[in-house]
Parts: sequence; C-alpha cells; structure tokens
Amino acid sequence: MDKQQLAARITGIFETEFEIAPEKLTPDVNLFQDLGLDSLDMVELMFVLQKEFTIQVRDSEEARAIRTLNDVCDFVLAEIAKNAACSDSPPPAVASPQ
Amino acid sequence: MQLNRVVITGLGAVTPFGDGYEALRAGLVEKRSAIVSMRAHWQHFINLRSMVAGPAPDPNEKEVPRQDRRSMSRMSFYGHNAARQALTDAFGNVRAALAGFPAGRLGCIVGSTTGSPIALNETFEIMLPDRDLGKLNGVKFFQCVSHTAAMNVAQCLGLTGTVLATNAACASGLQAVGAAYDLIRLGSQDAVLCGGAEELHASVTGSFDALFAASCRYNDTPSETPRPFDRDRDGIVCGEGAGILLLEDREHALARGARIYAEVIGYHTCASGEHISQSNRPALIHCLRQALASAGAAPEEIDYVNAHAAGTPQGDTEEAAAIREIFGDRVPVSSLKGNIGHTLGASGPIELIATLLMMRDQVIHPTLNLRNPAPDCDGIRHVTTPLSQPLATIVKNSFAFGGINAALVCRNAGPT
Repeated sequence: MDKQQLAARITGIFETEFEIAPEKLTPDVNLFQDLGLDSLDMVELMFVLQKEFTIQVRDSEEARAIRTLNDVCDFVLAEIAKNAACSDSPPPAVASPQ
Repeated sequence: MQLNRVVITGLGAVTPFGDGYEALRAGLVEKRSAIVSMRAHWQHFINLRSMVAGPAPDPNEKEVPRQDRRSMSRMSFYGHNAARQALTDAFGNVRAALAGFPAGRLGCIVGSTTGSPIALNETFEIMLPDRDLGKLNGVKFFQCVSHTAAMNVAQCLGLTGTVLATNAACASGLQAVGAAYDLIRLGSQDAVLCGGAEELHASVTGSFDALFAASCRYNDTPSETPRPFDRDRDGIVCGEGAGILLLEDREHALARGARIYAEVIGYHTCASGEHISQSNRPALIHCLRQALASAGAAPEEIDYVNAHAAGTPQGDTEEAAAIREIFGDRVPVSSLKGNIGHTLGASGPIELIATLLMMRDQVIHPTLNLRNPAPDCDGIRHVTTPLSQPLATIVKNSFAFGGINAALVCRNAGPT
C-alpha cells in the first residue's frame, strides 16, 4: 500500500468517525486547531487505526506528536513497517535459567 | 436557619407517548396505551417470557454535536432532550435559561437504574467471546457509568453547578427531584435540572422477569397490561424516556416573573431495612407520613395521590395498604403506568410532570386497565374515569428495589 492509498483510507476514517467534510481533509490540516478534535478523539482515532490497519499503537510515544493528517499517514506507515519488521525477524531467544 | 422556598418552573418529557409533555398529556386524556409487542425485537433472547414494553421514539442523535454525542446512549439523549425542553419551558429558550443563573448556581441531578443497559450489553458482547479488552473503544465506558445521563446532560449544556446521579432503581428520579429541592432549600444552588432517564433493553425486562415481576400473560394483547391495582395484574411492563423538571429558588423565580407550576413543600426518602426486593407497608407509611410532616400538611389537605403502582402483585398490595392507612378512601388515587408502563428511574419525574399538568388542567387521569380493583388493593379511592376537580396539594409516591421509598408533596403556587 503506497502513501496515497493509505491517505485515502485515513481520509475515509476521518469522514466517517469524525463527520468531517472531505474538502477540509487536506494533508496539512491541523487536527486540533482546524478540525476541533480533542484528546478523546485521538483515543478513538488510535482505536480505529488499530482495527483498520491491524497494528498495535497502544504504547506508541510517536502518536503524541501527531498534529496533521499527513502526520497520521506517516505514523501509520511507520507502524505498519515496524510491525512487518517484527514479524520478519526471528522469535526472540528464550533466556535459559542460570 | 431560614430555608429557601422551592418552585417548579420548567417541565420536559420524552415518554412512550412521544416528545414533550403535551404528548404525554394527550395520551392520558385520550386514555391510550403506549404498550406494544416487542416480539420482533426480542424473540432471539432465550427464556425471556415478557414480550411487551413501552418504547419511546428513537432520539434524533444528530441534533447533538458530535463531541457531545460520542459519550451518550439512548437514555442520555432522552435526558438531554427533556432538559432542553424544561429550560425552554421556563425561559423561552435554552440560551436565555443558561444566562439566567450565575456560574455554578444551576445544577443537574439525573437518576437512572444503571448506566446504559444497551452499552453495557454491547460491552460484554464485544469483550466476552475472546475476553479481549483491546476490542473496547474509549468512549463506551462513558455510556456505561452510573452517572451517564447526569454527566452527559450537564456537559452538553455546559453546566458548572452541582451534578449528581441518584441511582435507586425505580425511585431514582423522584430522589433526584428531592435532592434538588434540598440543595435549593439550603441555598447551595439557585436552580437544578432534575429527574430521571431510562432506556429499554431486553436485559432490563429480563431482570424483572427473573424475579417473576414482569408481565407475561398479555404478550398478545399488550394494551391490556400493566394493570395497576387490578385483580388480573401480573407484573410490570418496562418503558423508557426521561422526565426533567427545573426546580428554582422561589425568590429567583418571582424576580424574573416566571410561570410557576407548583411549589415543592415536602419530601422524604427512606429504606425499609426489611427486604431487598419486597416493598413493605410500614416503610411506605413512614415515608409518606414524613413527607407530609415535612410539608406541614395533614392527610386531609391532600387532593390526589399519584401512586407508584406498577402492576406487581406484591407492590400494589403494599402501596394500597399504605395509602389506605393514611388517606382512607377519601383521596383520589391513580397510577399512570397502565398508559406508559414503568419507566423505572424516570417514572417518578414523568408522573410528577403529568400530575402537575393535572393540577393545571384540574382533572385527574384514571388508572388505565383497572377494571376490577383487587380485594387486596381495596379501601382506597381508585380513579377509573377522569375526575374533574381542583387540585391544590398532591403527593407523588415512588418506591424501589432495596426497600427504598420516596414521596414528594407539591402545592399550587397560589397568590405570590
């Protein structure tokens, strides 16, 4: 999935979940100042992103830096890549008792 | 200590008869039943025997801004709608009402039996198959909490006064009105939006069914049930909706030239300490006597008792006995649950609103489906046809699981 496809899906999420008109959903739009989202909306956003893209973002510190729609796309791409890297790497070694 | 006097200046209701208190009044005047079959909705529930209920119209959720709406369930929508109605009724519009009180002086007390039963069921349906808490979203909890209706109404309206949720099942709403009365009497608030809100779900009816307290014999003839005080009553029929009143400091109301429906002059709530599910006539008698005493009113001064009478075999018997003990067969008594079912935590305020309209219209609406008064409910003055007469002083009675009782006394405002 390239960034353009991802952006389309995320835009769709914002239209559905937050009832925001598509013309307002430009890459640089500020989610808080321009769209009026709040902290509880961000919790909902993370919940929906987890389901939509099968990623785990519950403990992600990077999520706190999100300000724009473009940030959301970059964040999701990074999380997808992180998850893929995790699934490609061999399972962690089990420490043997000393 | 000089206590403030408290008056009722605004009414708002969503009931199985529709939106607004005039819809409620019209249903009562026309002696209609709002009880319908729920088979189409509930047939997939196993071992649910009661298939009747009094649903209210679906709320228009989109009327509420998204960020307010996300934490609201059906009961909060009803409560919010009724609260806005009450403010509009009292001030002409919501904005004027909210501007009519200094910050922190307009409170909100809304009771319900539980948090949203729909949201609670959804929570378990989502979580339980895999016991996966990660499948729960962030806002569902705000619909499940016990104070969901109170907090959502207060948030939507931007209220900064006292916010409380009275959770005492079927007495929740009347306790909310009583608590509001106390707060204003004590000078802690200038006004309080108060009442109750509930929503239907098969699990709610099922809870009463499990106790053999839900009506099951009239599934094919829904309008025949519930039957308060009747020989053939077989239990409650759940309803939903909200009743919200604006209680206001009398001096504040007079200063702004408000229309006053009635003055609240007495209130009491108490427990029986006897049994968790069985109502108890000594406790009912005690509660009613204490409410009358706090009002400084003798039983002879009461013109009407709006009974709780939900149509349960045991509860109706005990309440009739309590009313008989205090008022004999002189004071007219009726229950409105034959029309709209038992709206549980909302029933006290909804029925209080209907009673205030009876005071305004000088007519007592009868108990629907009361054809043959049961011998164990005899000896009180049942109203079975509309009764036109002036009503100066009334009693609204409620009781609930937990042996909890509540009674409120109101008097026509009269000359100022």
